[in-house]
Amino acid sequence: MLKSWDINLRQSEKKTLVSFFILYAFFTIVLLLFFAIYYYNTQKDLMLQSKRLGLSTLASEQIERLKEVHVNFDKTKRYPRDTRFKSAIYDSTYHKIFSLLDHDADVDLNQDIYMRGNKIFFIKEPEYYYLGAKYVVIEVKDSGIWKQTVYKNLVIYGGVFLFMMLAMGYFLMHLILKPMKEAISLLDRFIKDTTHELNTPVGTILSNIELSENTHLDEKLKKRLARIKIAARTISNLHQDLIFLTLENKIISKNESIDMKALILERLEYVSLFLKSKKIQTKTRLQEQVFLEADRNKIVKLIDNLISNAIKYNKINGSLEVILSAHHLSIKNSGRGIAKEKLSQIFNRYERADKSVGGFGIGLSIVSKIAEEYHLKITIDSKVNEYTEVQLSW
Amino acid sequence: MVKIVVLILSLFIHLHASVYQDNCVQCHQKLPVKIDKFFYRYLLKYSSAIETKYAMKLYLLNPTKETSILNKALLNRFGVKQKTTLSEQQLDEAIDEYWDIYKVFGKLK
Repeated sequence: MLKSWDINLRQSEKKTLVSFFILYAFFTIVLLLFFAIYYYNTQKDLMLQSKRLGLSTLASEQIERLKEVHVNFDKTKRYPRDTRFKSAIYDSTYHKIFSLLDHDADVDLNQDIYMRGNKIFFIKEPEYYYLGAKYVVIEVKDSGIWKQTVYKNLVIYGGVFLFMMLAMGYFLMHLILKPMKEAISLLDRFIKDTTHELNTPVGTILSNIELSENTHLDEKLKKRLARIKIAARTISNLHQDLIFLTLENKIISKNESIDMKALILERLEYVSLFLKSKKIQTKTRLQEQVFLEADRNKIVKLIDNLISNAIKYNKINGSLEVILSAHHLSIKNSGRGIAKEKLSQIFNRYERADKSVGGFGIGLSIVSKIAEEYHLKITIDSKVNEYTEVQLSW
Repeated sequence: MVKIVVLILSLFIHLHASVYQDNCVQCHQKLPVKIDKFFYRYLLKYSSAIETKYAMKLYLLNPTKETSILNKALLNRFGVKQKTTLSEQQLDEAIDEYWDIYKVFGKLK
């Protein structure tokens, strides 16, 4: 499914999807945490309630001992101790009378039972204030067994809940995306069908033009025929681009060692009519013996797109400079240039820096995909109304 | 000379005399129930220093059967004590000393 999105969805849409899913997961986790805290506190309260009776008995025993000390205070002044718990006594104004607790300053006398750290505190108010004690505090260590059960349940049920919520989110995301995916799929089908239907007429036009070139024609007619040929080749290129786009994942590369100089000269010859029609001066500096290991058809497509862009976005009487060196190819035109803020987006599909010129904005998207396949680094330098230079290095 | 010494000595004793010793202990010594027992009965009912001292003062200023901490049998036998002749300041002084002597704070081990 994701592979299909990769083909159909643009980067910004994928970013939106990721953002949506992160936000959904975040709120799910927040909700889960809220329930986890609530469950933990409920279980803690239940545990404390179950301990209440036992602690109350211990406190009563301690009160009885305090009574003994109170009655015989002049004879014995030893505070009663018990190995099962620690204790303390406070008067009615919360002043400590005596304490065996580790942190007697933190005792909350307003509660009757509570937990702090791994200790349970129980506070009992005796009927009579033996030794002046209005509050008798009993402190016992919590075994922590209930916590293990709580954590186990939280991991199991929390995990199931999280999984279910994420699955639901995934389903929801599909539901939201369905209309958009259908629209994209319709567009894709339309492009594929159009591409298929264009094949025969474009082929027919080009073959007939080539046949007519061999016949005797007057100059006026020859010029007209040349213009038709340029137009037909433009359509043919577009057709090839569309085929590449629709079949990009199905084309298996047949790599070979390509003589780059010969290939560039061949492609310049191919667009010569186009260059001539715009009166563009071509300058070339092509180094011999430069070879690139790649699929010839793909490199042809790459160079065709770069050159045709350099012509398309050039001005009448402009210039085109092609330089080839050992690991570098530069195609520079004297065109209208591209604004800096648009440079980073021009490799996106259907993105066009200049909408005044025809096209779907798929050329550079194809260039970027081919370059990516063969690890070719593309850099674009441009100055508005002056030039655009595309550099390929490998 | 002897007269002067006796005079100075009696003056010294008078200056260091305590309201509690002179006015409370002296009377309670004659009773079969010791004065500390009254303290622990107060502590048993009032818990803190403030409340205990307040209850004692209230009773000594206006002793009644209702405000007494003695049980019925003792009350029937000894009756309610007479109203104090001490001033409020002297009473406070005596109660403070009484509290300091018998308080539980700092005495438990």
